Amino acid sequence: MNRLAWQAEIFARSTWLQYVALFQWATVRGYVGYKLVLPVTQILFFVELGVFAAGRQSALYFALGNAMQITANAGIFGVIATVANERQYGTLPLLLASPANRLVTFLSRAVVNTIDGVLSVAIAMALVVALFGLDLRHANIGLIALSVLVVSITTSGLGLMFGSIGLVMRDAIVIANVVYYLLLVFCGINFPVDRLPGPLQLVAYALPLTRGVEAAREAAAGAGLGHVAGLLAGELAVGLVYAALGYVLFVLLEGWARRGGLQEAY
Amino acid sequence: MLMLRAVFSAFWVSMRMRFISPFAILGWLLFPTIFAAVGLFLLARPGATAVQSAYGVLGGGLLGYWGVAYLDGGFGIQSERWNGTLEQIFAAPTPFWVILLGKSIGSVLWGMLAFIPTLGLAFIGFHALLPTVDAGPFVVSFAVLTFSFFCVAFGFAPLFALWRWAVPMINGFELGFYVLCGFIFPITILPAWAQVLAGTMAPMWATRAIYASTNAQGPHDFVAWWAASIGLSLLYLAGAAWLYRMVDWRARMSGELALA
Repeated sequence: MNRLAWQAEIFARSTWLQYVALFQWATVRGYVGYKLVLPVTQILFFVELGVFAAGRQSALYFALGNAMQITANAGIFGVIATVANERQYGTLPLLLASPANRLVTFLSRAVVNTIDGVLSVAIAMALVVALFGLDLRHANIGLIALSVLVVSITTSGLGLMFGSIGLVMRDAIVIANVVYYLLLVFCGINFPVDRLPGPLQLVAYALPLTRGVEAAREAAAGAGLGHVAGLLAGELAVGLVYAALGYVLFVLLEGWARRGGLQEAY
Repeated sequence: MLMLRAVFSAFWVSMRMRFISPFAILGWLLFPTIFAAVGLFLLARPGATAVQSAYGVLGGGLLGYWGVAYLDGGFGIQSERWNGTLEQIFAAPTPFWVILLGKSIGSVLWGMLAFIPTLGLAFIGFHALLPTVDAGPFVVSFAVLTFSFFCVAFGFAPLFALWRWAVPMINGFELGFYVLCGFIFPITILPAWAQVLAGTMAPMWATRAIYASTNAQGPHDFVAWWAASIGLSLLYLAGAAWLYRMVDWRARMSGELALA
């Protein structure tokens, strides 16, 4: 029991340190620019593009899809940056030399960004609903919120996997950019997945976000939990697989980084 | 002649650095291609109008072109600061604006590369082509757009160097510029207040002229649109000149500018 409490304390301390030292948007200007202005303008842009393509009645489809994708901003950029910034600030060798449990240290990197992802979506959605006068009277708001939380966790799982590459790669944030923007095409954010060519549809369902976005759209149409439970369970499963793969990769690459002295390369 | 040589040297060095920068490559290759893919899925589908198709085909390239020009060009001074070379450039006998001119020309040319993957994707992936093109107005409009991008890059460079808060704000607003400049959909679908705001954007007028040259219908006030774009661009340049004097003062008198 003491051992468990000790690990919980390490987890809490590590989460706090992630926030104060590595949450790269923890300034008023940084937060406003990247966590408020960027998400809102992203949703506005794609909603207007959707309105031009399919008419004003489809605004909610685009608003919801892009709001869900914003969780990936925190889950992918935020989590990958926690490793990339350790390298930049010169603390990666200290982290790798510490005796702290790797799984605890690894998972703590996702917590702040998961919470931040939910918060970003809530703010952005509130603004967009007000701006476009979106009709959510029939929507199951609680279920949409649950979908946002689930997607925030699963995109953090993907972020943990790619964040591990930051142990051996200098420009890991390049990967964050590639992954984040590819999700826009693959995950049914702006058009249904079935419009993608067959093999790409397989890729889409192997990624987090795809099922979560579908679940949120169903919830917006008034569906209940029973109707979307399968989608949300699938979404969680995909996220957990990525987080598990990420942990394995983290441990493997840690050894590689130690052998090659890569942790200090910047 | 010496000035021209300095411009070319600045251009050449900056281009060589872009070739080895992963971010510079993502800027013209990945980001525009992804936006083009989304735009083409939505706008170049069966049953789309000619106007929608034109926006689908050109939109991704214009977004990419803008993205590289304003960001890469805007970081013209900031990148020297990060590399620790800002003071050397100021101390050199060549005027600072000459160096920046070469770098900004490089940014604009680098941004044009965005049309290669986006037009390629439109043609190969979606079998989409521009419905019609009135070549003369199209070429002039593109030249005016290039001039406006150059002026924006030239104006953002001192802004980013002087006020660091400008970077997250303007970078965060990147997709807002896409909206206001009408790169991938016409600004006429925006609310009236947003259209007024869009009217202050020099690239918007040139973009409007570009799309008008791909469509036989609708207004074709090319001369007025080019004049509006060039006039606003010159205003940006005047603002940039004032900002450069501030940069110069901060670099030489206060010694604050080189602080990374």
